[in-house]
Amino acid sequence: MVLDELAMLVMSLEPGHAEEISRAENLLSALPAGVPLSERALEKHAQTLALAALLKTQAGDDFTATTRKLGRQLAALQEMMEPAEEARVLVPTVAPAAPVLPEPVAATVETEMTGDNVADADPEILSEFINETLEHLENSEACLLKLESAPGDQESLNSVFRAFHSTKGTSSFLGLGRIKDLAHHGEMLLDRARKGELQLTGVYADLALESADTLKWMIQQLQDPATGSVKPLPPNYRDLMERLDLPAPGGAPITAPEASTPAVPAVSAPARAAEPKKPEPIIPVIPEIKVSGAASEMTERATAETGSGSASALPGASSTTVRVSTDKLDGLINMVGELVITHAMIAAQEGARAGGNRVLGRNIVQLEKITRELQDLSMSLRMVPLKATFQKMERLVRDVAKKSRKQVTFKMEGEDTEIDRNMVETINDPLVHMLRNAVDHGIEKPEIRLAAGKPETGNILLRAYHTAGNIIIELHDDGKGLDRERIFKKALEKGLVESDRTLSDAEIFKLIFLPGFSTAEKVTEVSGRGVGLDVVKKNVESIRGGIDIQSAAGQGTVFSMRIPLTLAIIDGMLLQVGSQHYLLPTLNVRQAFRPAPAALFTVTGQGEMVKLRERLIPIFRLHKLFNVQGAVENPTQGLLLVVEHEGETCALLADSLLGQQQLVIKSLPATLGKTSGTSGAAILGDGRISLILDVGSIMRIAQGRELAEAAQA
Amino acid sequence: MSNAVGTTLEGKKKQLGGKYLTFRLAGEEYGLEILRVREIIGMMDITPVPRTPTFVLGVINLRGKVIPVTDLRQKFSMPAAERTPLSCIIVADVGKIEMGILVDSVSEVLNIDAERIDEPPAFGLEVNTDFILGMGKTSERVTILLDISKVITGDEVAALGNMA
Repeated sequence: MVLDELAMLVMSLEPGHAEEISRAENLLSALPAGVPLSERALEKHAQTLALAALLKTQAGDDFTATTRKLGRQLAALQEMMEPAEEARVLVPTVAPAAPVLPEPVAATVETEMTGDNVADADPEILSEFINETLEHLENSEACLLKLESAPGDQESLNSVFRAFHSTKGTSSFLGLGRIKDLAHHGEMLLDRARKGELQLTGVYADLALESADTLKWMIQQLQDPATGSVKPLPPNYRDLMERLDLPAPGGAPITAPEASTPAVPAVSAPARAAEPKKPEPIIPVIPEIKVSGAASEMTERATAETGSGSASALPGASSTTVRVSTDKLDGLINMVGELVITHAMIAAQEGARAGGNRVLGRNIVQLEKITRELQDLSMSLRMVPLKATFQKMERLVRDVAKKSRKQVTFKMEGEDTEIDRNMVETINDPLVHMLRNAVDHGIEKPEIRLAAGKPETGNILLRAYHTAGNIIIELHDDGKGLDRERIFKKALEKGLVESDRTLSDAEIFKLIFLPGFSTAEKVTEVSGRGVGLDVVKKNVESIRGGIDIQSAAGQGTVFSMRIPLTLAIIDGMLLQVGSQHYLLPTLNVRQAFRPAPAALFTVTGQGEMVKLRERLIPIFRLHKLFNVQGAVENPTQGLLLVVEHEGETCALLADSLLGQQQLVIKSLPATLGKTSGTSGAAILGDGRISLILDVGSIMRIAQGRELAEAAQA
Repeated sequence: MSNAVGTTLEGKKKQLGGKYLTFRLAGEEYGLEILRVREIIGMMDITPVPRTPTFVLGVINLRGKVIPVTDLRQKFSMPAAERTPLSCIIVADVGKIEMGILVDSVSEVLNIDAERIDEPPAFGLEVNTDFILGMGKTSERVTILLDISKVITGDEVAALGNMA
């Protein structure tokens, strides 16, 4: 805007710089040419001109005072001019200049195709702005989705409006003109929805969501140091701005912009997720939104109810929470862990035991209670509800369904289930993959569904709940289910199974998690590249979880993902190996026993095996693998631990079992690089560190596969 | 890695002047920028981490944090030494992470002026001098000023990754 430029210029003016001052004056007098001004604005304009003329004659304090005054007047003028602009945008058919309007002034500014410049912004304020606004936008996304099914929900509409409004306000304060403009135009659209001129469904919902996405992208860019101080403009920026102004009141389908939007290029699924949203072709209001009368009323009321419920809870929640950096949180948890250890050490001292100093003993017990509570409390700090993650999935389902022309109702249950903050990221990708698959491959096209005697609209349910130290996240769909025969055939083709084996349903379904497996006949834009499910499995297993599938042909599929409650604590068996001790996750251990001499065999004098219930299991000696001195060499005097990993079984030789306990996991320092054989460390009760064994990588080392793999890579 | 060394030689020299914590290693004296030093701790239990290079002694528990300890003697291919009561671990700040280094003994904090610091000598391919910031000269001694962030990062980490 010329005004913005002017304001900048005025601020940098100095007495005696006649040239600059006259330039400001010229800009000022040229101002009314491009924009029609109201009477009051014209008056203001005259005042500013007078002030600018005054500047030429002044120096020192007077000069500064006048520039300040001028700045204030300009701000006031800018405010007056904005409503004028808005009024015209509202009735595009009346104003002949409408097509040029969204950017009439910006076109003269030299920063035409670049985004905002953050070089001058205070980094602290900026980062606060980024955090806050992203949160607002995420909230508004959820509200927009709600609005789509219940257009009458005034509460959600207002909350979206507020999000855009505050984005506009803050970005303008920070001098982020591009973001401000877009937020402003988005706000206008929402305002029209508030006035009842249009409903945020169909095209308008897309438009509003796209605005939110684009804003989000632009704001995320602000954070990205790679792009330098002048931020890039999203590719769809101008186009989007134009479309935001275009739709005629009343919600008539718009087809014109379709031609002007570039076709969405086929990008691989994961890459696409990371990219800014490309403008999507606007599809004339899709019948999908039309749900039969009674049902829609019911869902509308239901969502309106839940909507108002959560909305009323929201302001209260925000006023009693504090933002804390995760570093501080981790620090606190670390220190509490140390406190527990130190407490244990004090309690173990001679003098504190029973029979010693009674007062001391009592105080130590008291201290124990406090530390215990402190520990529980600090652990709970890391827990966050799954809600945010689930809401993102809702959006994803909507978009994928639209793209693949399917009708899907998405429901979630147990979104308040809490999960360790560190795990949220890890489960995000698997969920995205699984949901994409469910919509793209699981749910059938409406006509096929009808033909199969099922309702046109498919259902997807995402549910989370706690059970026995785990969290289960289930994904139900009522689509076509997994095709046993086809999976088996495909697996045969790819040589993943032998033809003479008969497999159970569970075994067959497990095949789809194998790398390189994909039954999709054609690669769609959304999914089906044969990467995906194996990554899902890997991700889930990396946090010590697992995945199960149940499926019935024609009725649907249930994926259940089991993940541990927290990553922070591990249940392990402490093993003595020579002078060292290691922690073996109890999860991996099937059995621990001391073998009889008769049960031991060797193969070619080297490979050792043990016979356990008619099964031959290879023995790997931990002391050999880890090069530890002074360990028990004879298995009949040591302890064999039968461990399982990805269906493979082996027995590890250790000296003895020291105990079984729950310990806080610490990751190994990054400077050690990728260590093999161990997955982390835990601090024992006495303050010593014990390494946690990684059964999978131990098997790879022992079988010499590691070297082979390294050679291949 | 926030290696605050200027681009020009002049700027580099100017920045090198300052306080250094000096320590001894097989009869040689080394210096570590004082701002890099978090603390000095006595010998404590070091848990060896299997399948890491020999110069990585293992990890220690520093008030709840697991940090790696490097044996500088091993790293610089010097003969191994007995641990003495003077042996200690210097906890250094390497970029965003902390790292312990085992040294024979800690001597003092030395103020070395920029003009008393020479470029690291070139020995050709035989001796790697990448991790040397410069050579500090005081009245009768020479102190080798270490760039700690280069001692274990970069190639080393990549090499570790390849091993795994």
